[in-house]
Amino acid sequence: MRSEMVERESLVEVGNLDHRFPDRILRQPGGEALRACFQCGLCTASCPISLIDSRYSPRRVIKRILLGMRDQVLRDRFIWLCSACFLCQERCPQDVRPPEVMTVLKNMAVKEGILPQGIARMMEVFKRTGRLYPIDDFTAEEREELGLPHLEEEQEAVKRLLEE
Amino acid sequence: MGEEEPRIGVYVCHCGLNIAGVVDVEKVAREAAKLPNVVVSKDYRYMCADPGQEMIKEDIKKYNLTRVVVASCSPRMHEPTFRRCVESAGLNPFLFEMANIREHCSWCHPHYPEDATEKAIDLVKMAVAKARYLSPLEVIKVPVTRAALVIGGGVAGIHAALDLADMGFKVYLVERSPSIGGRMAQLDKTFPTLDCSICILGPKMVDVANHPNIELITYAEVKRVEGYIGNFRVTVVKKPRYVLESECNGCGECVKVCPVEVPNEFDENLGPRKAIYVPFPQAIPMVYTIDMDACIECYNCVEACKEQGREAIDFDMKEEEIHLEVGTIIVATGYDLYDPSRVRAYGYGLYDNVFTAIELERMINAAGPTQGHVIRFSDRRTPRSLAFITCVGSRDVKTNIYCSGFCCMYTLKNAILLKEHYPEMQIYVLFMDLRAPFKGYEEFYRRAREEGIIFLRGRPTELYEDPKTKNLIISMENLSTGEPMDLEVEMVVLSNAAVPAAGTEELSRILTVSRDASGFFMEAHPKLRPIDSPTDGVFFCGAAQGPKDIPYSVAQGSAAASRAARIMARGEWEIEPIVAYVDPERCRNTKTKCGICATKCPYGAITVEEGKAAVVNTAKCHGCGTCAADCPANAITQMHFTDAQIIAQIHAALEEKPEEKIIGFLCNWCSYGAADLAGTSRMEYPPNIRIIRVMCSGRLDRDFILEAFRKGAGMVLASGCRFGDCHYISGNYNAERRLKPLFKMLPRFGISPERFRLEWFSAAEAGFFTNLVKEMVETLKRLGPERIREENEKARPFLDRMLKHIGG
Repeated sequence: MRSEMVERESLVEVGNLDHRFPDRILRQPGGEALRACFQCGLCTASCPISLIDSRYSPRRVIKRILLGMRDQVLRDRFIWLCSACFLCQERCPQDVRPPEVMTVLKNMAVKEGILPQGIARMMEVFKRTGRLYPIDDFTAEEREELGLPHLEEEQEAVKRLLEE
Repeated sequence: MGEEEPRIGVYVCHCGLNIAGVVDVEKVAREAAKLPNVVVSKDYRYMCADPGQEMIKEDIKKYNLTRVVVASCSPRMHEPTFRRCVESAGLNPFLFEMANIREHCSWCHPHYPEDATEKAIDLVKMAVAKARYLSPLEVIKVPVTRAALVIGGGVAGIHAALDLADMGFKVYLVERSPSIGGRMAQLDKTFPTLDCSICILGPKMVDVANHPNIELITYAEVKRVEGYIGNFRVTVVKKPRYVLESECNGCGECVKVCPVEVPNEFDENLGPRKAIYVPFPQAIPMVYTIDMDACIECYNCVEACKEQGREAIDFDMKEEEIHLEVGTIIVATGYDLYDPSRVRAYGYGLYDNVFTAIELERMINAAGPTQGHVIRFSDRRTPRSLAFITCVGSRDVKTNIYCSGFCCMYTLKNAILLKEHYPEMQIYVLFMDLRAPFKGYEEFYRRAREEGIIFLRGRPTELYEDPKTKNLIISMENLSTGEPMDLEVEMVVLSNAAVPAAGTEELSRILTVSRDASGFFMEAHPKLRPIDSPTDGVFFCGAAQGPKDIPYSVAQGSAAASRAARIMARGEWEIEPIVAYVDPERCRNTKTKCGICATKCPYGAITVEEGKAAVVNTAKCHGCGTCAADCPANAITQMHFTDAQIIAQIHAALEEKPEEKIIGFLCNWCSYGAADLAGTSRMEYPPNIRIIRVMCSGRLDRDFILEAFRKGAGMVLASGCRFGDCHYISGNYNAERRLKPLFKMLPRFGISPERFRLEWFSAAEAGFFTNLVKEMVETLKRLGPERIREENEKARPFLDRMLKHIGG
């Protein structure tokens, strides 16, 4: 048993990788050119998120997708941190379109129930009120002072939309 | 058809598993045996190998075969092989026909073995149908002029010219600039040996000047090429240099008195030259040139020349046309460098201290504008640190997708040279992959590392200038550590890619040769004919065909010389007799004034005299078939691509399930080539298309398309080269004029116009072809067989009336 011989975190067991994972992303709009990535690192160098914290790297997300490291990818916080500034997409020499890949990954992660708490909250609020931010008393008063109309919660419309 | 019934032998090739791995070859052979006139049908592992060819030869004798059909690869690959094979068994080589079941079938439909087998059977059926109508033809022998034209005097062209001249052939070497030498003359040193570039090139340039068999024509461009292999007539336009080559002895007194200074192109505009100049001291010919755009006509030079006892300067010199007759043409037009100001993120042209590699090369050269000193523009001092950025204008889908090949190596060379000149300088090479595959190259890379040059993997995203220090800060991910990095250096050198030389497109039209997707000249076959162009008698060498380093260019120069000598040494050459023939009985020019054929012929090969039938001059005819398609009386036949043969192919293809099929007419040089490339590139598309090869889209008679619809075809594709790329000058223009009205005619018969497609694409555009077929099959499915059958039924009475002359 080789895996017992090397008991290290760095161990990648090929048998445990999801080799179909890249193909699932390739089939989604925005993921088509994934396999063209040659790991030049231009995206990470352009990325405002990577600049702040080098633990986050679009290049690494792409490589992990291609390796089939499904769980690590869907749990990678970068996919939620991507600010979709599109600078990497603009400059990528192989037209891989990382921000669009992140959108695909976000959708996948949500379907599997893997999502940061903050985002989960936002979704709940949206489902309940039809807005991403709740209208609290403070906001309501502020609006009244400014002469803006009162906002109703729009549960019904949202419900209909979500059902569709 | 001949008096006797033809006796046909069919041979289906496995091509190892290339065909047999997808197509049920035994079934194909069994089905072929059932076809009329087929007396023997076999399958074999490798038809092109000796035992395969022997089998054909034996069968020709044993079964008294009068036609042979081989179902294997593209005729662009092995047609000549099998023609020689049947000829050696006593059969006329034009009684042979090929079915392309590899490039057009097994290689593109690997996931549909049953459909592919059905398609292969159809393709064999079509080839057999054509074979029944084949007739023996005699090859035409043409004389060959024992002289060659070499276009471009860089290192490749110089070697091609010298080799041919040494073999005893007359060579005309035409160079666009005032001196030969090309890019190599601009370089300081060469990798991986660090030889001085001009020191090794200079003597070769002198050899060119002194060779009795070479006529050097500099400051001149090829304007027109007519004729064909062995018999090209070339028009060269020589620009006026305002200095008589016969009088000027290169003393240079004129330069001293010239008051005008302009940037010197040879030094990448980093230093000045006078209005009267030689580009560099070792120029060949050593003759001065006056740049009229800069000259103020003070005539000081004229006086200076007179003082030397000469009258070499002639302000009245005019542009001159030179006419040459040559047997072969070698294209060695080299490359240009990608303009990095187009990659704005790297700041070239914006920041003072960003340079290109060739600019560095001129600076570091002792004879260059800075006498060998590498200096920053901002403060004229030598930088203490410098970074090379590689792959500028290459390996990027937004600029050029290809790898420019030699940039890694010249970057190493530049880095090592700098280290030699300035041992204290901190040198960084920023790279993605370092490509050093040939002899001594990897060792050179090690040497660079040992000398302390720092290699950093990662593609910089952008760089910006510190406004105070004018230093440059490069943003990249350091891929070794996975961290973003901002590297501050005092100078940046961009290793920019080689791109097709200016004028490549124009020259490709003049010579009617194609260019590949990157814009470089395209060879006839990527593996087996890397030097030949698709036009017989025209060859490529050096970077004109794609980026190449010096040894590779030199080898290709010699290879091109040998390919050209192969033709010229023989003194005569055989050309295919697929020419046009006018039936004097049917030509209506005997009764009325017609002559349409003569106006359509791109080569002026048809003579029409009033009251007499038109006559084709076979030596001039290139066999495009445009006249045959345009003849209103159907009096013209293109040999080997006759109406009867093509119609037989259409009928055979549409015998079963016609509404599911696409009949595709593809021209030999471009669209058929693209379909072949789709096969060799293993691009997949649905197996609905049945391809009929013609030499040129100009051959496509409107009747062919209508006949396909009359026989129930689902869709029809007519295709040829892109406009301007036609190998017969104007065939595709004629095809478009003739076929475009079908889009209006078809709906009148009840046929949806979207069922006919007229498309133009080059031999490099395999992806275009693949997508086109996919798209057409989509349309086919959307319309559905019911509707197609309905439309065809509705159109039949009209079509029957229009196509009465075809019968069937």
